[in-house]
Order: sequence, then C-alpha cells, then structure tokens
Amino acid sequence: MGFLTPALLVGAALVAVPLLLHLVMRRQPRKLTFPALQFVRKRQQANRRRLNLRHWLLLALRCLLVAGLAFALARPTLKGTGLRGKEGAPLAVALVVDNSLRMQYVYENQTRQEQATEMARWLVERLPGDSQVAVVDRSRTTGGFVVDISTAEARLSNLAPETSPKPLEVVVREAIQLVADRADHRQEVFLFSDLSAAEWTEEAFDSINESLLESPEVRIYVVDVGVKKARNMSLGKLELRQNVLRPGQPLHIEVPVAVTDFAEAPLVELFLSSSTERAVKRGQRHVELTDAGTGLAAFELGDLPLGLHQGSIRLAASDPLEIDNTRFFTVEVRPPARVLLLGENSSDTLFMREALSPALISDGRAVQFECVTQRFSQASTLQLEDYTVVCLLDPPPLTEEFWKTLTGYAYNGGGVGIFLGHRAQLSGFNEATVQQMLPGKLKLRSRYATHLRPRNLAHPALAGLKDYSETIPWEVYPVWKYWEFDDLAADVYVIARFANNRPALLERPVGRGRVLCLTTPFSDPIEPSGREPWNLLPTGPEPWPFVAISNQLVGYLAQQDNESLAFFAGETVTLRLAPKQGVSNYVLREPNGDSVRRTLPPGENTIAIGTTRALGNYRVASGGGSSGRLEMGFSINAAADLSRLERVDLRQLASAFPAERVQIAETLKDVELYVDIGRSGRELFSWAITFVALVWSTEHLLANRFYRSTP
Amino acid sequence: MATLEKYLKPEVIRQISRLDLRAQFIVKGFLQGLHASPFHGFSVEFSEHRKYTSGDNPDDIDWLVYAKTDKYYVKKFEAETNLTGYLMMDLSASMAYSYEQELTKFEYSICLAAALCYLMIHQNDPVGLITFGEKIIDSLPPKSKRQQIGNILSHLAKLKPREKTDIGRSLNQLAAMLRHSSLVMIFSDLLADPDEVIASLRRLRHGGHDVILFHVLDQAEVEFPFEGLVELEDPESHESLELNADAYRSDYLEEIQLFRLTYERECRQSGIDYVPLDTSMQFDRALTEYLVNRRNFG
Repeated sequence: MGFLTPALLVGAALVAVPLLLHLVMRRQPRKLTFPALQFVRKRQQANRRRLNLRHWLLLALRCLLVAGLAFALARPTLKGTGLRGKEGAPLAVALVVDNSLRMQYVYENQTRQEQATEMARWLVERLPGDSQVAVVDRSRTTGGFVVDISTAEARLSNLAPETSPKPLEVVVREAIQLVADRADHRQEVFLFSDLSAAEWTEEAFDSINESLLESPEVRIYVVDVGVKKARNMSLGKLELRQNVLRPGQPLHIEVPVAVTDFAEAPLVELFLSSSTERAVKRGQRHVELTDAGTGLAAFELGDLPLGLHQGSIRLAASDPLEIDNTRFFTVEVRPPARVLLLGENSSDTLFMREALSPALISDGRAVQFECVTQRFSQASTLQLEDYTVVCLLDPPPLTEEFWKTLTGYAYNGGGVGIFLGHRAQLSGFNEATVQQMLPGKLKLRSRYATHLRPRNLAHPALAGLKDYSETIPWEVYPVWKYWEFDDLAADVYVIARFANNRPALLERPVGRGRVLCLTTPFSDPIEPSGREPWNLLPTGPEPWPFVAISNQLVGYLAQQDNESLAFFAGETVTLRLAPKQGVSNYVLREPNGDSVRRTLPPGENTIAIGTTRALGNYRVASGGGSSGRLEMGFSINAAADLSRLERVDLRQLASAFPAERVQIAETLKDVELYVDIGRSGRELFSWAITFVALVWSTEHLLANRFYRSTP
Repeated sequence: MATLEKYLKPEVIRQISRLDLRAQFIVKGFLQGLHASPFHGFSVEFSEHRKYTSGDNPDDIDWLVYAKTDKYYVKKFEAETNLTGYLMMDLSASMAYSYEQELTKFEYSICLAAALCYLMIHQNDPVGLITFGEKIIDSLPPKSKRQQIGNILSHLAKLKPREKTDIGRSLNQLAAMLRHSSLVMIFSDLLADPDEVIASLRRLRHGGHDVILFHVLDQAEVEFPFEGLVELEDPESHESLELNADAYRSDYLEEIQLFRLTYERECRQSGIDYVPLDTSMQFDRALTEYLVNRRNFG
C-alpha cells in the first residue's frame, strides 16, 4: 500500500472537528416554557439512551467520513513489490517476441507471432516517450535498445519467423542483461510466448532464475499468446536408409507422423525433383495411426538415375501449424567407384574383388565398386588417375618409381590401401620413398597369435560396423602373424588394434588423399603352399565381417562417406568436394529460387555454407572446374521439437519463479493491470471515494431518520 | 355565512376586546346555523302540566291527562324552568401558556365560557362562575338575569392565571358545594395526575350533575412543533429539562395521545361529555360540533 499524495493524509486530523463539535462546542439549548412537561419526563430515560446511541453512531460515521475523504484524496495505491524506490524513473523495456516457427500456429486467423507482435505494439504505444525500448527476438542477432519508439514498432512489424531460434532462456537472459545495464531506469522485460513445454524446461527455469538473481531489479511479464488446445499434424525427422545411392539401389525414406486432435488418417505425399525438373509427385500413403496418434510413412523409389535428387514429403491436409507439414531430403546417385586391386597373382585379389563387387550378383543390382585387378609387375605402366582407390594386396618390395607415383596419386586425393603380408621385407619397405606412405619403419613379423578387436568404431573408416559391433565374433578369425612397426610417424592414427593392443589398422593422410595400412593381409588363402597362413580373416567360417570391413575401408579410401545431406536450419553446412575437383566458384541456389554466386579460395576442398535459415532444398552447382561439372545439394529442415505444441503447466510456470518478479498475463487486460500495478500500483481512489460516498449517504440517511420532523 | 365566518376567527375576535361582544359574535355565528335550542333535553325532570294553547308542540300533549280530564295539557320540564350552569375555570399558571397562538389556553377558555354563558342566559337559565387553582378561589352564584352576563364577563376579564393547580381537590370541593343537580362546565388543561381528576369527576357525576369537560390544550402541547435542542421549563413547578426536540417528538405525541384517550375513555364510561380542544381550533366550530353532537345524542 502506498499513496500518490501522502501529504493529504494530514487531512485525517480533521477528524477532530466532529469530535470537538460533539464534545466541546455543544449548542446552547433554546429556553422555552412548556406546561406539558410531565409527558416529556415520562419517556426521558429511554429516549436519552437511544439518543446517545444515535449520537455516537452519527459521530463515528462523521469521523469516518472525514478520515475516509483524507484517505481517498491521498490516492492510495496497491503497490507491486518490485521496483521500489524508482517511481518516476524512465522505463527500460525489453520486448522479447518469440518468433520461432511454432509461433506460426494460426488461431482465429492470426498466427501466434502476429498476435504477439500486435500486443507488443499495443504496449509500445502506451509507453512514455522517454522509455528505452529494446526488441529482442530469437534470431541469432543480438537485440539492442532502439533509438525511439517508432523504430521499435518498425522492428516489431518486421520480425520474420526464425527457423533456427536461439533457446528461449538465452534470449530471456540477454533481455534481462540488456535492461539491467540501465541502472537508473525501471527495468522490465515483456516476454511474448506460446508457453510451449518444449521451451519452458527445468533448465530454462533455472537459467532465468539465475539471471534474475544477478539482476535484482528486473521484472518479467510473461504474456501468453498460446492456444490452450492445439491441433496439429506433423512430420518428424526424415530417415534415409542411404544418403548416397549407387545405380539400381532403391531410395528408402521413412518419416514419423504425429497427429493431435484430427480424426482422419493423414495422407502423406512424396515429391521428387532432379536437377532440371520441377517437383513431381512420386507416391502417396495413408498413414495408419496408433491410439497415441503416431504413425510411420515409408516410401521406396527405385530406378533413380545418376545425379542429385531432391524432394520433399508433405502432408496433404492443412492444419493450423503449416511449418511441420513438409520435410525435405537430398539424395545422390553416384556411379560406382573404380578400384584397382594390385596383387602378385590372381588369388591375391580374389577375396577383395569378390567382397567389393561380387561376381555372382552382378546382374543389375547396385554395385558400389567397379574393381580392376592387376599384377604388381604391371604396376608402373598403369594410369593410377583412372582409379579412385588403389589397393596393394600383400605387396613385395616395389620400385621406387612406383612408390613415387603412388605418393603423387595420394597427394592429389587418391585413396591407397596397403595390406602388408608375407612378401613385405624390411629392406624394401624402410626406404624414404616408401616411408612417406607407410605409418613407420617395419620392425618385425610378430608371431603372437591374436585377433582383431577394434575397440572404438567411431572412426569413419569403420563407422558402418557400429551397428554390429556386439555381434561380430572377432575371435573366430584368428591372426597368427602381423607386422610390427618401429616408431610410428607423428601424423599416424591407429584406427583399430589387435586383442593384444598392437596396432592393426593405421591411417596416414597424404596430401588430400587417404592412406590406410593393415598390418596383416586380406589375401591369404586358407592353406597357402609352403607356409602358414597369416590369418583367417577372409577365409574363416562365414566371413561376412571381412566383406563388411573391405567395403568400409575401400569406401573410406574412395572418400565416399555416407554423410547425411540433411541439416537443421541455422547449421553451417560443409560440403566436401571430390578430391580432384578443382572448383573456383559456384552458384548456390536457395529454396526460394534465388541464386547466389560465390567464390572459393584456391586449394579449398570444402564448401561451407552458413546462410541456411530458409527451409527447403539447396543446390550447389558449378559449371567449370578441371574435372567437369559440380552438382551437390543438401536439405534444411526445422528441428522436430519446434512443432511440439504441448503447453507448460501455468501453475508450474508460476511456481518456478519468484512471484513478485515474474507475472504471467493471458490477456491484454492482464498486461495492463500488471503494468499499472507494477509501475504506479493499482489506484484505489475509486474504491476509496465509493466508500466515502457510502459512509456519507449512510450518515445522511441515519441523520434524516433520527431527526425527521414529523412521523 | 361565509362572510360571517371570517369574523369568527380568533385573530378577528381578539380585535374586539370587549368580551360581551366577543361572546355575542360567537353565539350569533352559532345560532345562525341552528333553529332549536341546543340545550333541549339537558334536564328531563318533570315539573308541572299547563293547558295546551295553539302553537305548542302537539308531541308534548299528555294523553293520560286527556283521558282522565278530556282536556289537552302539555308536560312542562324542569329544565325549561331552571337548569343551573356552572362555568368552572382553571386558574393554574399553565393555562396562561401560548406558544405561537393568538390566545392563551385561558383566553380561549374564557371565549368559550363567555359564549356558553351567553347561550344560557339567552334561555333564561341561571349561570354561575367558579374559579379554582389548588382549591376553589372564587365563585359567582348562578343567576339568570341579563346583567349576569356582564358580571361574569367582567370578572373573567380581570382574572390572571397564576396559581398552582389541584383539579381533583377543587372538583371535590365543588361537589360538596352543589345542592341541586347542575350542569358543570369545566375548562382546564388537566395537567395534573389524571387518576385523581378522574376520581373527582366520577364523584361529581355521581352527585347527579351533568359534567362537560372542555380539555383545552395549546396547539404546541398537541403537536410538539419544537426543533433542535431545547430546554423546556414547567411554568408551575419551574422544573426544566434539556432535550432534542426532533428526537422526542414521536414519543411525546404518543404520550399526549394516550393522555387524551384515557380521559375520553374514562369520561365515556362515567357519562361525562369530554371535549378535547386545542387553541388552534376555531371555537365556534368547536362549540357547534360539540353542541350538535350533544343534541343528536340527547
């Protein structure tokens, strides 16, 4: 309780006037002769008692009247507890408008963001002229105080939906910090939010509370612009079985569907466009929903031609929140990589060739690799540049010439796999030229019986095995012999080790290429003539792990990573150029059709794209370059939790913050009320004056009744 | 009539200071509306027979005597010979009271008494005057001569009410004094203990006298028109009382009403005519009203 004009409270002292009149300044009675006094005397006692009671009642009412009037004129206010002692100071207001995609929910012909903006503008119009206003949204740019109120209004009008919003608590903290810096101002933050449970988490509460503690004078008004009972159909995160397809390999897409408060089973459509075509509908599914309102839509498309394919999956029906009705994907169909397998004889290359491109199933099925086998004797005559990967299977000492060629090939981005075996010798492999490729100097052939046991399958060379890591029976494929290295070069990375912790698979980057070295061969037959086999990796029972490893390693060497081409909005997308792709400039085509020409620094083999705020399919194209046309692409989707519409419990929200610091308003009226209370307190004048009027009329009524002239 | 009534208002009559003229005024105004004596039938005592002459009311013929003597005789009543009236005036100090009226209660009573006196003498009835305070102070013996009006009026004009009052005792005294049945007309404000007064009235009535009680109050005593804080003083006991008149009015009115009703009830039971009056009433109308009622009743 406070008073706007407390000086007028002194007026309450006037209560003394009726008291004085009553007790001291009694009127002198008129003296009259009256013979019929006996009748007067009869009722004297009872009448005097009644009269006294009335007198005191009237006196009390009159005192109350005077005191009440003084109280009312002092203009009592119900004061907000915060911001004490800053009455009259100018305002520093931060308007935080949640402009995440979820705020595009349409209700009563208005998106939540439009409503929030409208409320914020309404508020801005009512701010005093000397107020400092900051408009803070969830985009990546940091908000600041604007010059004047009309600028604030303009900023509010220009807010665009943010596809990659900053976490809400971060934005709120920024806003708190912003107003807290204005120490001589009254500090208020207005937060316009749909109160989604996805944003108002315990961590968010903690974070905001922490910030409130640091800035004890800031008050937050949370204005609820959400919808109590939201209806929505949404598509979840797309899952592509493969991001890079080989000719003949089908495209398999799965997307979860969630439906809230819609009766009909949603129809999901698949649209596909290649580089030149417009989007064409390639399939549709009615999704069976579970009781919880979730389902899965799966599509499979075969016969995609070589090249880049981009498309989208859409919900055919419309609902209040449109942004999660479409999901985008990009997939690439590439020709098989050419792999040169070098061996001393045909049996050396047999296992690898069959593992990479099995002869039995070559009839039209997808083939990832196209294998060419050659002998070491012809190695120096080969054009290595024709191949993506060169594998040396159990190489004997080779000419220095060949190693130089191989090193050059690797420098230019070629992949080299060296599978050491019984033909390797210290003398032929420890020369300087060879050492540029090998992980270190050969030391000895270890006869320590062991087996492969990769502990960590995180390395991309083995990442494809991750899903089976528990099920591969490594000990079934014993390794009896392997090469040990003296000292490993500084840039060598051990990808996998044997069970005795000795290195088994090592990687050494050479130029833009990759070199992998396995210390035991992949080519030993089960019973080699005249010697013991080094291992049973390709020849053990059911050697499927060998097939898998071969494919993984060669795929890694070919730098054909099965990397996802789907990203979230706001992420920086890095596209790796093919090793020998000389690109100096490229065109980025954005989802809205705009094209941007960009230049790539010389020697750069990745394209980094940071402007990914728009949802949709992006395409990177380059007309020239030493190895012909470049065509790449990627898709940008909104994060799936941006369509989580469940609301946080208001009571939970209210109890999460100190009540005097954070107020929750559901309507503009609430906002007005809170603002009035928060700024100057709620004026009680009308109530007080009503009370005074009531007392006054009661006094009149009683006085008239007591002293009426005739009954 | 309308023009005459104008002159009957107390303020007009007051301008005529001579009492006899005042009384004449009142009675003339009264008689203009009447053709028969208002006192007819006051006394029912048979006195004698006389021969019927033309002009006598045939109703009065005594048919029993006619049967015996075969001659017409009419009955003659005593009242027609001598109905002695006593005007009994209260001289208590309270009678001198008037709040805003032209006449004090005493003056009002005198006017009434004078009118009645005039009426009675007019009929050749003897009228006497008795004044009392704590006891009977003075009396004029009843006479029916025309000079009696002058005597009574001059006596009344000299009187000043200043005494304390004991109505009961005075009435008892009177009852002891009267030998024949008389008509006693009491003019008083009756501001005394009603039980005693009523007892004395009964006694007087029991003695065979006709009693008319003119209860004269000031208008202020009937209506209590005071406002605000007042200090009231009793002119007889000189007691005073301070009170808020506004708050008191309803209580007072209840009491005075009760007081008058008590007298009315008691008087009716005892066969006494009770005439409540206040000084704001025009006395010709008051008188007429009473006498007309009285004749109808009789």
